[in-house]
Amino acid sequence: MGKISRRRFVEGTGAGVIAVTAVPLEAQQKKSAATASGAASASAAPRTKIAVTINGSKHSVEVEDRWTLNELLREHLELTGTKLGCDRSECGACTVLIDGKAMYSCTQLAVWMDGRSVQTVEGLAKNGKLDPLQQAFIEHDAPQCGYCTSGQLMSAKALLNRNPRPTRDEVQHAMAGNICRCSNYNHYVEAVIAASDTPSAKGGKA
Amino acid sequence: MNPLKTAGHPTQRIDALKRVTGTATYTSDKHFPGMLYARVLRSPHPHARVKSVDVSKAQAMPGVKAIITRDNCDVVWSSGDTRNKRYLFNNPVRYAGDAVACVAAIDRHTAEEATRLIAVEYETLPFVLDAEEALKPEAPEIQPGGNLSADDKGKREAEVYKRGSLDRGFAEADIVLEDRFQSAHHNNAQLEPRVSIALWEGDKLTVHAATQGIANCRTDIARDLKMPVENVRVVCEYMGGGFGNKNQCQDSDLMAAVLAKKTGTPVKVEFSRKEDFISVHGRWPVTQYYKVGAKKDGTLTALQVRGYSGMGPYRKGRGDQGGPEVYQCANVEQSVTTVYTNMAVSANYRAPAYPHSVFGLESVMDDIATRLKMDPLEFRLKNMTRKYRDSVEYSSIGLEQCLREGAAKFEWKKRWHEPGLDTGNIRRGAGMGMGGFGSSVGKSEAILKVDSKGQYHLYVGVTDVGTAAKTTMGLIAAEELAVPLEKVTVHWGDTADCPYSVGESGGRTTSFTGVSVVEAAKQLKKQIAEKGMPKGSDMLTASVVTDPDTKGLARYSFLADFCELEVDMSTGHIKILKFLAVHDSGRVINPLTAQSQVQGGVIQGLSMALHEELLYDKRRGIPINAGYYGARIMTHLDVPLVETMFIETDDPFGPFGAKTLGEPPIVGVVAAVANAFFNATGRRIKSLPFSRDKVLDALGKKEVLA
Repeated sequence: MGKISRRRFVEGTGAGVIAVTAVPLEAQQKKSAATASGAASASAAPRTKIAVTINGSKHSVEVEDRWTLNELLREHLELTGTKLGCDRSECGACTVLIDGKAMYSCTQLAVWMDGRSVQTVEGLAKNGKLDPLQQAFIEHDAPQCGYCTSGQLMSAKALLNRNPRPTRDEVQHAMAGNICRCSNYNHYVEAVIAASDTPSAKGGKA
Repeated sequence: MNPLKTAGHPTQRIDALKRVTGTATYTSDKHFPGMLYARVLRSPHPHARVKSVDVSKAQAMPGVKAIITRDNCDVVWSSGDTRNKRYLFNNPVRYAGDAVACVAAIDRHTAEEATRLIAVEYETLPFVLDAEEALKPEAPEIQPGGNLSADDKGKREAEVYKRGSLDRGFAEADIVLEDRFQSAHHNNAQLEPRVSIALWEGDKLTVHAATQGIANCRTDIARDLKMPVENVRVVCEYMGGGFGNKNQCQDSDLMAAVLAKKTGTPVKVEFSRKEDFISVHGRWPVTQYYKVGAKKDGTLTALQVRGYSGMGPYRKGRGDQGGPEVYQCANVEQSVTTVYTNMAVSANYRAPAYPHSVFGLESVMDDIATRLKMDPLEFRLKNMTRKYRDSVEYSSIGLEQCLREGAAKFEWKKRWHEPGLDTGNIRRGAGMGMGGFGSSVGKSEAILKVDSKGQYHLYVGVTDVGTAAKTTMGLIAAEELAVPLEKVTVHWGDTADCPYSVGESGGRTTSFTGVSVVEAAKQLKKQIAEKGMPKGSDMLTASVVTDPDTKGLARYSFLADFCELEVDMSTGHIKILKFLAVHDSGRVINPLTAQSQVQGGVIQGLSMALHEELLYDKRRGIPINAGYYGARIMTHLDVPLVETMFIETDDPFGPFGAKTLGEPPIVGVVAAVANAFFNATGRRIKSLPFSRDKVLDALGKKEVLA
């Protein structure tokens, strides 16, 4: 099978079998990744080539038709900031923006992303500067275990993009699809209000 | 209390940046070259003998690397059952969800498909779901020796605690109330599903686990795989919640280790969300029978409670029932019978013995107060504990302040009214619940180093399950060293360089490991005073083991919860309007993250009170609503703003006066909701959760459902 470097893949010039290369996370493991055989190479599942924009960069990738977007992001593009909590559209930990709309990546097939634009938590900070939501999440202690946090951030981002001055009630409705079992809902809502243009955000009693 | 410089002030988590940028690496985010994915096949039957497991078709599937079943794997998962031999794969299978096989393949799709190709022949057996039913002579035997689970001494009898004489107590009583309360099995439902990755290098095993305690996870794995503990390394740097269901080692850790050994490659075992709901564990359902006596002036004279805890088929949890210790009463008898059933396994979920048990207890106490025409607040102030079990002094107690200051802040006198007086379709009421939670002390370790640049390096065996434990440890070190928090680098989550810590369960880390950190800082300061700061690449190191005791005193955290709600009499909908949680957890080391803990615990309790239950098809013995939707876990839309208040007592045994905080926030919540519902409607619901059908039933509106 052909091999392709991680860099070429991310730059969007890679195609074909690259999608089967297992890429480890840790820097020290990257060396061995170059020699690792493709984990899914034996699979005969149908594949489709798609062009998708992820966090602003264009990717041309061949994906197995059965892959979800979550699987593409986490397993094949090394974008593990997006989590997988239930794999059945119940919890929201996998929320990303697809063409600006907050959606569950666990129940979107990767092949459906052809021609579309995806934003993940990794795309929130710009030029080393945190998004105001991220800063507010830190200050208000919004994440406890942190497993739902990326999803909460993306739903909040979609909300503020379309409604820069939401009320507390509007925030709760916009984020209703994001479960936090640590149940730090109060701090999440306060943080979103604080990051918004809504006046008198202090204390979360907007 | 003397003010502190660094601890005691709201402080952001030291790892917050990683948590908001998606760069915190959880176990499931890890990938290793050549790693295989494993999936588990589970029993569809609640009780069945496995006659044969034919893996030939699955084994022949391209991409399948190894399959383990009881035929080729007899590893015992000892932390899965403290009384019986619980294997990774059991025969008979004893609940719908018991593991039968685990398949490792080149990707998860292949592994999943392969599990479907395994042919299992079952001989189904009779089953029983209810604890009291399971004790009847005609009930099927689930574990050898019967369904009454043994106590700590191995005796098959109820755990009984007694003081005084019930006969005398009831004879002295002017009124006696009897009642029965029930709770449901509900799941911890942490966001991160179970996942384990195992890698072998020769005879050395590394497990990347999603665990609440790397140290006990490590010793458990070593014991079950019969390995020297020094050959096992456990890593967990970021953990996506557990609330008690990621204590010790998991069966998935052992399955991954066995498969990785067999295949010679790293293996990742993942459970689906549904598996996490039915095949891990939830809180044990209880049935409780109360008989309580009191004098006209409100003095409690007798408290009897007979409780049953349904443990599922394996004794993974203690099954105890807490609460009565917060009442002063001369004559008490409490018995708890732990019983095997063919339901999903029950074990620890935040304050395991409390919220359901306190629901029953505080409901009865509220009813007594009502019968005596007493304000429930005055009744509790009169009868609250002064000494543990009326005999042992507490190391510190702020319960009375929790009640008084909480009631003032909540405006109790204004919001509470005589039960059932409200009229109209929307009825409003207020209720309260009080509680305590044991705050033990015990053995822990810490290593603290300083380098020549003046940077301190703290090594602690915590994983930080969401409680901000690593930040807390950093704050404690910085306070004792009298340096800013930034001067302390905290190392955690890896048994390769972190010493023993008790594990993040039982609300113990701050008290146990915090004390070690204080001691390490003291010793390091002494070394610096004697030797001066290190030069060049030298370091000074303090390595300590602490194991304090409470010198015969009882050590407890206390709380009082206040709730106001509205009941829609036509639909049965309950809306929480106001909730105040008041806690005596000693000194609060980090008010910012402490508030998160309390608000989160309260909302978990509200969800438990109003929504959550694993429902069973009683004819077939299988769970029917496993998952977030089915459990109706509370979402953003359901939650009120939870107000918090801390009564900071100065406890002599915790670091800077701190006591347990993580577990108590859920203890009194269900009780406060139940009592507020009673106050609003004059009706009492005696079974959890307060689902719409039960509410309407209690309101006498059953016909609405028909």
